[in-house]
Amino acid sequence: MIESVAAFRDWQDELAAGLDPEAKVVTVCGDTNCRAFGSEAVRESFTQEIDRRGWQEQVSVKTTGCPGFCQRGPVVVTLPEHLFCGGVCTDDVPEILERVVLGGDAGVETVHDRDLFFYSGQRREVLRLNGILAPLDLEDYVAHGGYAAAAKALSELTPEQVIDEVREAGLRGRGGAGFPTGVKWRFCRDAEGSPKYLICNADEGDPGAFMDRSLLEGTPHAVLEGMLIAAYAIGASKGIVYVRAEYPTAVHHSEVAVEQARAAGLLGENILGSGFDFDIAVHRGSGAFVCGEETALIASLEGRRGMPRPRPPFPAVSGLWGRPTNINNVETLANVPLIVLKGSEWYRGIGTEGSKGTKIFALAGKVNNTGLVEVPMGTTLREIVFGIGGGIPGGRHFKAVQMGGPSGGCVPARYLDLPIDYDSVKDAGAIMGSGGMVVMDEATCMVDIARYFTEFVMNESCGKCAPCRIGTRQMHDILVRITEGRGELEDIDRLERLGEACAEGSLCGLGQTAANPVLSTIRHFRDEYVAHIVEKRCAANSCKKMVGTSCVAACPAHVNVPEYLALIKEGRSAEALEMIRRRNPFPSVCGRACDHPCETFCRRADLDEAVAIRNLKRFASDEVAGVGTPPVWKGERKGRVAVIGAGPCGLTAAYFLALMGREVTVLEKDEKIGGALITGIPAFRLPRDVLGRDIEYIRRAGVTIETGRSVDSIPKLLAAGYDAVLVAIGAQESAELAIPGEDKDGVEDTLAFLRKANSGRLAEVDGRVVVVGGGNAAIDAARVAQRLGAESVTVLYRRSREEMPALDEEVEEAISEGVEMQFLAAPVAIEGNGRVTHVRCVEMELGDADEQGRRRPIPVPGSESSLAADRVIVAIGQQPDLGLAEGYDGLEVDGRLFRADPVTQRSGESPVFVGGDVVTGPSTIIGAIGAGQRAAVAIDRFLGGAGELPAERVLADAIRPGEAVMAIARHQQPAQGYQLRIACLEAERCLRCDLE
Amino acid sequence: MPAADATLDGILEPFQPAGAGDLIPLLQEIQEAYGYLPADVLQEASRRTGIPTSRMYGVITFYSQFHLEPRGRHTVRACRGTACHVRGGKRVIEAAESYLGIGDGETRDDLTFTFETVACLGACALSPVIVVDERYAGKVTPERVEQMLQAVEAAEAAG
Repeated sequence: MIESVAAFRDWQDELAAGLDPEAKVVTVCGDTNCRAFGSEAVRESFTQEIDRRGWQEQVSVKTTGCPGFCQRGPVVVTLPEHLFCGGVCTDDVPEILERVVLGGDAGVETVHDRDLFFYSGQRREVLRLNGILAPLDLEDYVAHGGYAAAAKALSELTPEQVIDEVREAGLRGRGGAGFPTGVKWRFCRDAEGSPKYLICNADEGDPGAFMDRSLLEGTPHAVLEGMLIAAYAIGASKGIVYVRAEYPTAVHHSEVAVEQARAAGLLGENILGSGFDFDIAVHRGSGAFVCGEETALIASLEGRRGMPRPRPPFPAVSGLWGRPTNINNVETLANVPLIVLKGSEWYRGIGTEGSKGTKIFALAGKVNNTGLVEVPMGTTLREIVFGIGGGIPGGRHFKAVQMGGPSGGCVPARYLDLPIDYDSVKDAGAIMGSGGMVVMDEATCMVDIARYFTEFVMNESCGKCAPCRIGTRQMHDILVRITEGRGELEDIDRLERLGEACAEGSLCGLGQTAANPVLSTIRHFRDEYVAHIVEKRCAANSCKKMVGTSCVAACPAHVNVPEYLALIKEGRSAEALEMIRRRNPFPSVCGRACDHPCETFCRRADLDEAVAIRNLKRFASDEVAGVGTPPVWKGERKGRVAVIGAGPCGLTAAYFLALMGREVTVLEKDEKIGGALITGIPAFRLPRDVLGRDIEYIRRAGVTIETGRSVDSIPKLLAAGYDAVLVAIGAQESAELAIPGEDKDGVEDTLAFLRKANSGRLAEVDGRVVVVGGGNAAIDAARVAQRLGAESVTVLYRRSREEMPALDEEVEEAISEGVEMQFLAAPVAIEGNGRVTHVRCVEMELGDADEQGRRRPIPVPGSESSLAADRVIVAIGQQPDLGLAEGYDGLEVDGRLFRADPVTQRSGESPVFVGGDVVTGPSTIIGAIGAGQRAAVAIDRFLGGAGELPAERVLADAIRPGEAVMAIARHQQPAQGYQLRIACLEAERCLRCDLE
Repeated sequence: MPAADATLDGILEPFQPAGAGDLIPLLQEIQEAYGYLPADVLQEASRRTGIPTSRMYGVITFYSQFHLEPRGRHTVRACRGTACHVRGGKRVIEAAESYLGIGDGETRDDLTFTFETVACLGACALSPVIVVDERYAGKVTPERVEQMLQAVEAAEAAG
């Protein structure tokens, strides 16, 4: 029992002097998150190992609160070096100990925590001791400066001065609304009545937020200290920690800390001899989200149903048991000791004009580094999500951040560079809330998210106010209807009207903000609502009733992925291949060169990693020897169709038309068959014999392919007796840079270069090669040039690596092969006397985000420089040759592309159809295959047929998912083939979403 | 009153006389001791504290933590928070439900398992999350859920 401030300070000095900065300590995170990964066993193992080796004198083990990097749990940090070890298991324990005690750097991978951007990008003030202290060791807290702020307040400051200091500091409530804390305290101090209550609101119910839990678990005394100072300021004698029962550890730690503080004389009567009395009780909430609202929380403490009441009177005047009551959030209170100790001036130095200090965010969802991060107010979303958070896993694109839980909203990509504070977040349609930040990617449906939150508030509405009770149910029903494809356009207006009514007609924050998730998604993602309602399409391939199976829906050719994976799992590769060919005649090609949208939207990727669908397809196609026999049309062929261009679109259409009994001739102007598959994809990515197998299969289906047949007039073709024509000539003209000197020798477009190289006409490349562009074609050209012996190959791209559209794995391989990447650089002129000698470049910097969240490149004035070059390859995009449209009115042109009906691929009312890159501009192989498939169906119907593709085969006995399998296959070298066993195991990872 | 007198005596002792604010802590204690809130125990508690059963019932049915039905020996709680939702939490919930053969908030007839979903377990960084008898497990897959439940069943069978 410490009876005076002087005695406390002596005690503190003594404890601080006892801290040995050189002591070797292994700290193990004991937070709920790390315990879920087995940190208790790790700690136990450290203790045993130390005992076994007799190292008790050299090193100690300490269980701490959360160091924040939950993604890497269980987290171990060794002192004094601050080495961070993530994902520690008991097997790692001996190595870590040896390293701490004996030194050296052998063994498990460790990194200094300040070298992790996860930490260096943060400013940990409130969390500074979380992960350092043993949570239930009062002396440890005091030794690290704990309760010094309380001692200072009690002995040196009047309550008025404390309030002024907090008000000056600009601290705003961290629970959500952001009301100035000092002002709130002032109201309560000025209110008449006794006793006064101080309540710490730890009823952290916002899904997605867990900083309050972590603070109470990790540094409970810091929260109590904040409460003590607050109580002193407002003159409260009774304190209550109202904590969720769903947080058993937080409850326990709060209770123990209160007892410890009481025993030490830091709570109770005449605290530190100041004459001030204050004690705290811990109350467990009983599971009602609405109790986070002040008046509902008070009702709950009074033993009633937790329903809010109208304000005024405000709790500051009439709160618990009708007495003046002040309620602050956990994080707010944890800020208070910092302000008292370091002063308001210091505190004001952090943050933005209207929002001071730091903010803790709980980063979760579709982001690589999940955990608790503390940053100054005014940090941008991009810094948090892509910097500290390490970006989006699984190659998916960022879509939005949900902020503020059920009262907040979804902030879309174009706000990525917005400095985050209370006011800016509100402008973006969300709220700071308690700081939950759930990252969402392109596979997250925004209408479904609105439905999800509306379901939440519907369930949590206490029922007192009709607009909230009934309105949330109505909104929910409408949203369910829309996600099931039964919505109507008027529903959007209805949602907005209901949302407004709910906001205006509800008493408490829950009802007033219940519609925010709906309204913010309508504001920022109206397109998605309209697509659900009008096209019955879910862009995230997520809404089950509409899309069926995500991977099948995401594939432009709609190949039945789960069924063929099930066949591969059973070792029935030939059947799997046959199943694929019912929708896509290019399994061998796609097994190697597809950009696999199926994997991007694979639901397994939500849980861990996508099933390696493309590699499994390749496995099946490699497994089966021989070309195979298609189901050839037996009857008489009717209807003559000419397909111009033997690329993926044309050949796919021809294949399906042949299966449907049409007489199809493919006219290809080159001598080789494959179109962009040959000219655009180097042989090392797509071996020609592999391509040959698929082409042979298509031939066997009854397709005639004539090479060396250039077509210059549609009317002539029609006159020659063809009933329908498909124009699928691809985008073979390169876009130009439009800069001076582009006509110099040594400058060529990527297609011309690749065509020469791929046909063997260019056997060697010498000198320095500069490739301009960031797409797959640019990377292909760079890799080819490198392989043909270029002295150096440099890719110039005007944005940064993150924005590069080329496939990540291709870029990686290019770099590993020696290709240099120069990001944020754009050419402004090609220099040289007749022949190129230099590329004049300007440095770019990234400006604000565009609609997709990609940052716009802006030239940096005065940053021009010259790059020596003997050959320049321009790969900034391609466009089709529109010549065919000149002699024929039936072909519609839209800018630099042909125009076609998106479903039928038909050009206006003519018997001419167009498909593939001629319509979309340079796109993907599977996109072209999908277009060919649609064109075949439409052409068959045009010719009087039913337009039926081969029946979607469904296995008689569905093969269901079996035992658990690790993601083994992913970690094999993907560029090589799969072993049968691994393929079976990988195929088994499929969740069979189609069977749900 | 059944054989629970002694237990109830112990619980009620600190609450004599019971104030209005004691109701929720009292109910929490009773539930901790009995595993749920048996009607006869509530009636006896009401008689002795003077808190009407109607008030008790109103409070009990308002909060999700109180249960009027017996609970299973093992409680499986799956999180349906936002982070879990976007990271495939639904599949985890479905896997647990299909393995246990019961839905949200239900208890198996043999009282082995109770399954429930929770609005947020506050372990969002490891979503999706499931808690089996106070043991948290993060980044779970449907396969992992089945393994965990099998392990509990096996331990139960082994006595």
